[in-house]
Amino acid sequence: MPKRDEERPRDDAGLAGFGRYAGSATLILSSLADGPKHGYALTKDVEEFAGVRLAPGTLYEALARLESQGMIEALAAEERRRPYRLTAAGATALQAHLDAQRRVTETGLRRLKANWGTA
Amino acid sequence: MTTPQERAARLLRWYPEAWRHRYGEEFAELLIADIEERPVSSPRAVDVARAGLLARLAVAGLTEPHGAWWPDPARRVQVSLGTLCGALTACLALAAAMWSQLAIAWEWTPPATATAPTMRATLVMSAALLAFLLLIVLAVAPVGYAIARNFNTRLLGPLLVLAAAVSLLAFGAHHFLYQWPGSGGHGEGGTLFPVIPAGLQAFAWSLTYWFSVHWFWLATGLGGWEAAWIAASPVALAAAATAAVTLMRRAELSPRLLAYETRLAVAACAVMGVFLGGCGCWVYVGRSPGLAHAGQIDIAAAVLLALALAAAYQAQRTALRGLHLARS
Repeated sequence: MPKRDEERPRDDAGLAGFGRYAGSATLILSSLADGPKHGYALTKDVEEFAGVRLAPGTLYEALARLESQGMIEALAAEERRRPYRLTAAGATALQAHLDAQRRVTETGLRRLKANWGTA
Repeated sequence: MTTPQERAARLLRWYPEAWRHRYGEEFAELLIADIEERPVSSPRAVDVARAGLLARLAVAGLTEPHGAWWPDPARRVQVSLGTLCGALTACLALAAAMWSQLAIAWEWTPPATATAPTMRATLVMSAALLAFLLLIVLAVAPVGYAIARNFNTRLLGPLLVLAAAVSLLAFGAHHFLYQWPGSGGHGEGGTLFPVIPAGLQAFAWSLTYWFSVHWFWLATGLGGWEAAWIAASPVALAAAATAAVTLMRRAELSPRLLAYETRLAVAACAVMGVFLGGCGCWVYVGRSPGLAHAGQIDIAAAVLLALALAAAYQAQRTALRGLHLARS
């Protein structure tokens, strides 16, 4: 049986402090990991890979928070659309957050398989 | 039929100017693309309205803003203190309206017939109001000195409005002192049992009679000037509060003074909380008929006071967080 500490997900790099915006922040950072995107391209990309459509107000709340934390940066505007780029700090935070999520996923799947035989 | 551009511009109005200055163009482009793809979407309208109102609360100093559109923590503290000033002025006006009614009721109550719970509530409210006034003096004096020292023309307008409004309130309240039913005017009979010296309660009642007035008297017992005063005094009070908020936001205040004012604001919120507690006790025990009877207007005042205090509490929390950020 694994120790309790090994099971506990750790997310020390920053996204845990985003509260109810953590979900949107993860989706945005995951999208920007593929390269810079402006608001509408971000919405479409997230909708494609996660099946979630980020509403405009929510998207810009999360973008503003990520920008103020230095996890993304704004690039020069292209015809009134401004692309955003993932920073090194953002990549580190996303990596830590996804590692923690993966640990949760693996634990859940392992337990499901052991006790319910469904995984 | 409205174009997507017009609809996007309309949705953008939910946001404050500072936010629009930073994100307006790109956000409008996103909205236009979204509207073209999904012409009708109630969740989109609700989401934009919610996010825009939250950004406006941040500009008002009631929530912590995030992002590059409102970056200076020291400025945030000053904005929050301005909002605190407005909210606490509303608290003071409502508190004065309730306290003066109780104090005047005590003046007409023979000591032997006074009920202990109402008396205790009055004492708590009186002590809290006195402490609140002391805190106001401690807060206003250094801000006044800072304004005099770093005077600029942007302060002239609100200073003149504040001076005019306060002069009108002081003159009017003093002029109508003891002229209201119950405060010793209008030839009422009976024996007075003075509790508060120097007519302080009559002054406070005269100042806030627009709130506690029995509208019956407006039609039957009051003259034209008295009715004009009841109409003018809340306008003057609102003008004074607005001018004080503007001054607080525009004045050049040092970080040390901002920290001092924030600490006083925390104490003022606590003191007003004590007043509200006393007021709640009075409203609860004072429902039986009598001079210190708590009526519908007092219940309404207590609810409004609680709302104003909640706004003040939220503003002082934002100011404290801003101070912490400014220091780090």
